[in-house]
Order: sequence, then C-alpha cells, then structure tokens
Amino acid sequence: MIDDTPALQLRSLRKAFGRPAVDGIDLSVRRGELYALLGPNGAGKTTTLRMVTGLLAPDSGQVEVLGTDLALDPAAAKRKMAYLPDDPMLYGKLKPTEYLEFVAGLWGIAAEDAEPRARHLLDWLDLSKHAHELTEGFSRGMKQKLALAGALIHEPELLILDEPLTGLDAAAARQVKDLLVSHVAKGGTVILTTHILEVAERLAQRIGIIRQGRLIAEGTLAELRERTLGGSLEDVFLQLTEQA
Amino acid sequence: MKAAPGSSLWLLRHELRMAWYGAAVNAGGRRRMGWASIAVWVVAWTLLHVGAFAVLHKMGAEGMANPFMAIPATLALVAIATFMLSTALRTSVVALFERGDLDLLLSSPLSSRSIFTVRLLGVVMSGAALYLFLFGPVVHVGLALGQFRLAGIYVAIVATATLMACLGMLLTLALVRVLGARRTRVLAQVLSAVAGALLFLLSQSFSMFSQTAGADSAARSVQRLMQSPWLAPDSALWLPGRAVLGDPLPMLGMAALGLAAFALTVGRTHRFFVHGLQEAAGSARAIARPAGALAFRFRRSLFDTVVVKEWRLIARDPHLISQILLQLVYLVPLLFLILRKNDAPGPAIGAGLALLCSSLTSSLAWIIVSAEDAPDLLQSSPAAGRIIGLAKLAASVMPPLLLVALPLLWLVVRAPLAGLLIGFVVVAAVLSAAMIVRWLGRPAQRSDFKTRGKENFLCSMFEAVNTLCWGGLGWLLVTLAAESGTAAGSTALMAAGALAAALVSLLAAWLMRRRRH
Repeated sequence: MIDDTPALQLRSLRKAFGRPAVDGIDLSVRRGELYALLGPNGAGKTTTLRMVTGLLAPDSGQVEVLGTDLALDPAAAKRKMAYLPDDPMLYGKLKPTEYLEFVAGLWGIAAEDAEPRARHLLDWLDLSKHAHELTEGFSRGMKQKLALAGALIHEPELLILDEPLTGLDAAAARQVKDLLVSHVAKGGTVILTTHILEVAERLAQRIGIIRQGRLIAEGTLAELRERTLGGSLEDVFLQLTEQA
Repeated sequence: MKAAPGSSLWLLRHELRMAWYGAAVNAGGRRRMGWASIAVWVVAWTLLHVGAFAVLHKMGAEGMANPFMAIPATLALVAIATFMLSTALRTSVVALFERGDLDLLLSSPLSSRSIFTVRLLGVVMSGAALYLFLFGPVVHVGLALGQFRLAGIYVAIVATATLMACLGMLLTLALVRVLGARRTRVLAQVLSAVAGALLFLLSQSFSMFSQTAGADSAARSVQRLMQSPWLAPDSALWLPGRAVLGDPLPMLGMAALGLAAFALTVGRTHRFFVHGLQEAAGSARAIARPAGALAFRFRRSLFDTVVVKEWRLIARDPHLISQILLQLVYLVPLLFLILRKNDAPGPAIGAGLALLCSSLTSSLAWIIVSAEDAPDLLQSSPAAGRIIGLAKLAASVMPPLLLVALPLLWLVVRAPLAGLLIGFVVVAAVLSAAMIVRWLGRPAQRSDFKTRGKENFLCSMFEAVNTLCWGGLGWLLVTLAAESGTAAGSTALMAAGALAAALVSLLAAWLMRRRRH
C-alpha cells in the first residue's frame, strides 16, 4: 500500500519579528517530490525552513513531517529529516571523518551502520583524499559537500536545503544537483530554496513562490505558466512577484 | 587641517579612522565610544598623573639622575618591547592580509610607497598607544616639575614601537610566506600570551629567589653581578635605559635607528608585494596533505560523542589554548607553595586553588557552552538537549578537576582536614562556575574569547562574585582548620556567610537564567 501522508504539511504557519515574516502559509509537499521554494530576498523562505526544522518556534500554525507533528514529538520528526542551511553547519577544527562521527552520534546511528555510509559519502563526494585535513581550510564547495554528507549520513526521508548551490563551482554544483536527483529517485523528498531559477526550472517537480511571508503561487512550471503570460521561470517569477 | 584626497596625510586619517572604529565599536555595533567609557579613560589618566606626581616628587631630580636607574629602565623597555613585538605581528597580519583593502588601495593611483608608509605608521601607533597612555603622565609631570630629560620616555617609546613594528612586519612577511596568514596570526597571538606568561614567571621566580635566599643574600648576588664590566651601570647594555632617562646621545641614537628601520621596512614591504607575496601566501595554504586510510571511531553514546568533540575543538585551537594556559601560569607559584615541605597548607592555597579552578572553568564553559560553532546542527538534530547540555558541562569541569587532582591529593595526605576542605571548595567552585555560564551565557563566537566579559556583563559579574565567594570560603575554612577557641567561632561565622553568599549568587543566577529556544 502506498503511504500518501505528505512529506511536509504546513498549516497556517505564522511568525512575526515585529512585522510578519511568515504570514499564514499552508503548504503540502508530497513524498518523492523535489519542491523548490522561490521568493525575493526577505520573502520569508529561510524563516519558513527554520520553523520546519525546529530551529525557530512558530507563533502559530502546525508543522507535520511525514505524519509526525513537530511540536508534539520534535525528536521523531527531526529523526526523519535533514537540514542544510546556506552557511554550512561545520566545525572548522574537526576533520571530515570526525564531523561525520559527531553527526552520526547526534542522530544516534549505530557505528556498524554509520561507518559504511560515511565511507561511501566521502568517496562519492570526492572528500576521501581530504579526510585528514581540518575543514577550516576547505573551499566553499568542499564545505558544502561535507555538510551534505553530514545531512545524508542518517538517510533522511526529507532533505531540506537553503540555497545549496551558492558559491559552488560548476563541478561541485553538478555533484550536488546529481545528489538531489538521486535522493528523489530513491523515494526521498527534497525541499530547496534557490535564487538560481534555472536550477528550480530543471530539477523541481513543483514550485512555490513566496512573497512577503505568503505563498502567492504554487504548482508545476506548466501550471505557473498558465497563470501568467508564460515564458521562462524567470519571466513567470518576475510577473508573479510584481503582480502580488 | 584638511588633507588633499589621495595624499599620505589623507590616507593616514583614513587609517586612524579605521583604528578608531576597531577600538570603539561596541556591542550594539555602533562606531562610537560611550560617554561612560570615555569618562573611565579620563579618570584613569588623571589618576596616572597623580601617581606619577607622587613617585617623581618622592624620588626628586637626583633620584632620576642616579646612573643605576638606567638598569630598571632598560629592563622595563625590553619587557615593553616584547609586548610591542607581539602586537606588531598581530596588527601586521591584519593590516597586510586580513583587512582586505590593500588590493583596492594598490589598484588606485596612490603611490604604493605612501600606502605602505601609512600602513607601517598604523602598526607603530597601535604598538605605542598603550605605553604612551601609561607613561605619558610621567613625562607631563616631569616637565611640570622641571625634569625635562624625562621627555626621553616619549622618544624611547616611539622609537621602540617603530623598531618592533618594523621587526614585526618583516617577520610577518617571512612567516606568511611559510605558514600562511591565518597561522601567522595564531602564532602572533600565542607569542603574545607566552611573552606575558614569561614576564610573570620571571618576576615570580625573582621574588621567590629573594624569599628563599633571604633579602641580604639576594642583594649581595645582584651587587656581584653589577660589578661585572658587562653589567655595570655604565655598560653599553643599558643604553636604551639611558635614552629613556633623557641622555641626549642614546636618545638620538634610538630615534635614528627607528627612522632607518622604518625607511628600510617600507622599501622591503613594497618589494615583497610587488613580487607577489599574497599569491605565494595563498598557494602555501592550498597544498593538500597526502591522504591515508579512512579511519572512524564512532562512539557508543551521545555523551561521549559531545565530550570528545568539545575537547578536540579546544585542543586544536592554539590561540584558545594559549589564552587558557595563561591562566594556569599563575598556578605555578601557587604549586611551589603547596609542595614546599614542612609547612601546613596556608589559607592562600585554599583561596588560590578555588579562584583559579573557578576562573578556568568559566573560560572553558564559555568556549564549550556559549561559543558553540554549530548551534543549529545541535538544535535540528533529534538528540536530547539535556544530554548535550550535561556532556558540555562535563567537558568544561573535567579538565580543571583533573588538573588539581594531584595537588589536592598531596594536600590531603599532608593535612587531611585542610586538604578535604580545600577539595570541597574547589569542586563547589568549579561546578558553580559551569552552571552560571550555562544559565546566563549568551551565544558568542570563539574569536570573542578575550572580550567575553564586555559582551555579557551580567554573566561576568555573577562569575566574579561566585569566584570570590568560593575563594573567600577556601581561605576561611583552611584558617578555621588551624584555629581553636573564640577566634574559630568568628571565622566559622564568616565562613558560613561566604557559603551563604555563594549559594545566594547561584540561586540568583538560576532565577535569571536565559530561556533557551
């Protein structure tokens, strides 16, 4: 039987810092979907993702991760997801192997499961040859890839990424994009924010556009084109954000 | 005075403005020094003038003219030069590699020679400023009292700062080429801590030598040394001191040496940059080490994982270690006192160990609890916050307790009651210090370690009160162990008061604890 519980369900999610940052967002992301959340700077994308990952308590509303209410059972909800912010959550004075040991410890992964996964991830992301160096000397791309390895070590069903391609060179960006596509192909779910609209256009099955804390449009690229004068995602995005 | 845009003077004004922003920027991010801070500086400077007057008035003009004065003046200048050199190394790395504006300046039509002249002047000023502030009052009061030769202090300070700035900048250029900019900065910070520690240990060893050998014997030893032609008051070794005291020739010599070094350094710095030092420094950092086999050590529990991670992060940060070890240096004279034979442990030992362990724990707890590098990672994980918190506390309190375990054991063997009482006070002081940081600490960056007191006044105040209460209790309990009769009664009462104050401060900290999340 196919489980049709959404990977992520947001109901009337609100957060204000003086003025509303997220203003009653309702959103449902299906399992096995790559969902792109777009919006101009300050639209409320990062605030939404931080509430989804339990880093920020919402003023009101509900977050459900794969059927688990984040407020009622945060540990269970967090166990199923991974979050990768635009500034990777790393320790400069740890080596990649030690970082993965630490993250596996946080997610309570048994050593016999964690070790082969860690080896595979470091090999796959071309980090094995740097495994004995401190991460503080890494380039932006290497840091991002290591953070991704950390996010994947507990094999999350839901992967949430905030601007994952910022500052990456072409090769690293390709590797990250391949990884996301492969995660979805294996049945996982990916939610990402990006300013690189071509990435959303190529990878995302559905796109949500946020402006001033509200979800102003949502659907496949074709559906969004129907609502506007058409064109590229950039044209659609600009028309929708200027209309609202 | 208005400087023409693009002139050296204009650039110097820009440099001074940047230095002022760096010094005056406050917690709120405003680039202005508060009136309270200005008032504190003015009061301190006035008090320094009063102190200088008292000293100069007592010594009189004859006292200052004593040829023996050149010896302490030289030694003081050498000590100051050590600090100036470490400051120069640190500021040179920032000025040349980390501020990131040299590319902008060098790509402008400004002459590169004037750019480096101004930059080196900035390093000279940052080295000299503190000592001009501290010793300026001696010059001013000296001039007012007619001791005009004391103006030599200004010349000596500026010349020494110039020499050390030149040495610092040339050393930086050499070190950056080999180590890279980041490691050079860490090295400069470590050198600065080591210089301070060495001076402290030297001063302590001299005072211990005087105590051990007796004042007469120490004076005789010093006299014997002074009879050697190398160390006699008229020896060339003390020329810097004579410059400080306003002897015209040594003073002119120092000034000329400073100017020559300045001109040489500007030329060399310019040449190094033209020959692509920055690129060389960058490529030095990019060299990858050969890879070995992947080895993992996944731990069984979250607690162990967190403790190991915290200790690893501290162990790999030489700057932090040097800052922490600096506190331990002050333990060394205390250890001599503890391990001295035939004496019962004095109250100073009880107080000293409690003070040191408490302040060491506060530092470690600040680094481990407040200065977490990736708080979002911990918060977005399903790991129980309670276990992470406990592990962090354990990681903070274990090193100080392990460090004093052996001296405490030694004390317990020698004087069981006093040893046990000191042990109790040390453990209580350590645990309280860690809890206060846990309750009142604010998220911070590790790089702010030195200024942590300024950033979180409330926490620092509680730390200080708590440390003093446990230190006082340590003193009183050891005194109590050796007393009897009425004296013991009043000491016990005071000890109860100190204990109550410590507990009340803990309770107050708990009531004011920060709500997380």
